[in-house]
Amino acid sequence: MSSIWNSCLSKLENEISGSDFSTWIRPLQAVETDGQIKLLAPNRFVLDWVKEHHFAKIEETIHEFSNGTLNLSLEIGSKTSSVAAATKIAKPAGTQKASPNYLNKAFTFDNFVEGKSNQLARAASMQVSENIGKAYNPLLIYGSSGLGKTHMMHAIGNAVLKKNPSANVVYLHSEKFVQDMVKALQQNAINAFKEFYRGVDVLLIDDIQFFAGKERSQEEFFHTFNTLLEKKHQVILTCDKYPKEIIGLEDRLKSRFGWGLPVLIEPPDMETRAAILMKKAALVNIELAQDVAFFIAKRIPSNVRDLEGALRRVIANAQFTGREITIEFTKEALHDLISLQDKLVNIDNIQKTVAEYFKIRVADLSSKNRKQSITRPRQMAMSLARELTSHSFPEIGDAFGGRDHTTVMNACKRITELKEADNKIAEDYSNLLRTLSH
Amino acid sequence: MAEQLPLHFEFRANQTFNDFFPGTNREIVTHLQRCVAGLGEQQIFLWGKSGLGKTHLLQACCHQAQRQNIRSFYFDLAHAELPDPAILDGLDEYDVVCFDNIECIAGNADWELAFFNFFNRHRDRGHKLIVSSCAAPNDLAIRLPDLKTRLNWGLALKIQPLTDSDRIAALIFKADQMGFEIAPQTGRFLLTHYDRDLAGLWALLEKLDKASLAAKRKLTVPFLKQILNEDSHD
Repeated sequence: MSSIWNSCLSKLENEISGSDFSTWIRPLQAVETDGQIKLLAPNRFVLDWVKEHHFAKIEETIHEFSNGTLNLSLEIGSKTSSVAAATKIAKPAGTQKASPNYLNKAFTFDNFVEGKSNQLARAASMQVSENIGKAYNPLLIYGSSGLGKTHMMHAIGNAVLKKNPSANVVYLHSEKFVQDMVKALQQNAINAFKEFYRGVDVLLIDDIQFFAGKERSQEEFFHTFNTLLEKKHQVILTCDKYPKEIIGLEDRLKSRFGWGLPVLIEPPDMETRAAILMKKAALVNIELAQDVAFFIAKRIPSNVRDLEGALRRVIANAQFTGREITIEFTKEALHDLISLQDKLVNIDNIQKTVAEYFKIRVADLSSKNRKQSITRPRQMAMSLARELTSHSFPEIGDAFGGRDHTTVMNACKRITELKEADNKIAEDYSNLLRTLSH
Repeated sequence: MAEQLPLHFEFRANQTFNDFFPGTNREIVTHLQRCVAGLGEQQIFLWGKSGLGKTHLLQACCHQAQRQNIRSFYFDLAHAELPDPAILDGLDEYDVVCFDNIECIAGNADWELAFFNFFNRHRDRGHKLIVSSCAAPNDLAIRLPDLKTRLNWGLALKIQPLTDSDRIAALIFKADQMGFEIAPQTGRFLLTHYDRDLAGLWALLEKLDKASLAAKRKLTVPFLKQILNEDSHD
């Protein structure tokens, strides 16, 4: 960093409020050349603000430290990107040497924990990685946020590269595709953009729901998609819902996304959640006891990211205090998180949510009514109470009109069976789980 | 109970880790320092009530980054109106980015989406994100599920209020840094008679420092009463 700019920073730090200094002054990067000091701002917004509010002060300080020998100029850019930006036209993601494919090597099939909720998606993904362009094309992995779709996608890319290191594999988020296209249009380089994306062997695009409403990007992606499929190159997509449900996505794209194999990833069950926790802990060389893993898994029922967040808290706290990770310790470390979760998910809350979902009265759930329109939601609420709270079978029975604990056990068993056999019930259960967990 | 007197002056603290009195929040300081230095977590979510030092800590992170030649950016989202999300452009190139009061973007669809996109770009580069909020990540009213799960992903740390004995220790610590002394009984007097909010206490210290210098007197309880009595009559 320029020594003159360093001196200026030390002075300005005492003359500008801490917040303004950290937002507008400290982030500027200085490039000093003969007779000039160029300050680089990250974007137009920061540039305009600095020009309007702080330029005079900065200029005065620079003149003071350089004895008036340096002229000040402001530009958008950064030290690492400004040189490249001046010499290159828009080269889409994937062409840069430093990060040729944007794949995260840490995400592999080996460290993906398989459970009932994701076994079909995992099996399909492994098949695709072994037979690119042949098995299922496109492969569409869909499901709620935080369940491992991105992990699966990276795992496919990494497996393909392991088998064939020269394969041209590109991973990107849908927003990056849109951003690259806009940049290419601005810089008159749309042909290079098309050529690049239509030339890859395996294209992995994450979160395609964000294409919604972006017509020009959808059209470009439509053509890219067709070209890749014609050439029998592999396309793998993820989405937070079944594409037909995305509002603002063209019908022709919705239909094409369904050509190959759409596979659903559901929220992991408790055993899988515990296994995920143990695996994640092992990755940072921590042996997490099974009872601790189940303790966390029971209280964090929502998604893998929430689980990871909780595990991070436990490990960080253990490393700081040097204490052993026991259930007692975990209770303390997650005290704030668990009390929030307990506040959100209790039997009352479950009954209210289930009653609203099925448009029945909360009192029906505790009544003696044996119509299927009431018994099914009642069984579901009992099963949710078992999964999401730490109440015992007898306690749950009490909360549902004083029923026997065996009734609750049967309800849980019945719902497990029905989830396997009836997609509608599986979907209802998954929706309720999601609602209650957020 | 003695009536609390209003005070109307501003204080600008040096917002570095050295100027922060950690009390029971030492773990938070350690994690933030390690994060900035590139040794610890990639993402920290610092939450807790206002007036406990979250802004101070975020700015201390940027200060440490500057000393270590690490690029940093800080922005406080608690403004009357959120700025154009274009302020996020290019920030993924910064090694450490701190957003204060992240709860302010909840419910603003444009900001939630822009922040989600920034989050992915920034994280893919392996850079560090530190955000603060008045609420726990799960309690934020973020509507975009993809963003909500990502905010839950990192290390969430709750900043704890100082106990009264820690507050007295903090007053002595701050006064010492400013070059004057406060006896424990003076500290106790201040805590029982004035707002116990830390920002208010720091502002009070600056006022006392100036008065003590001007009168060339030590800060005894009678002198304190005299200064503050004069202030309440201003």
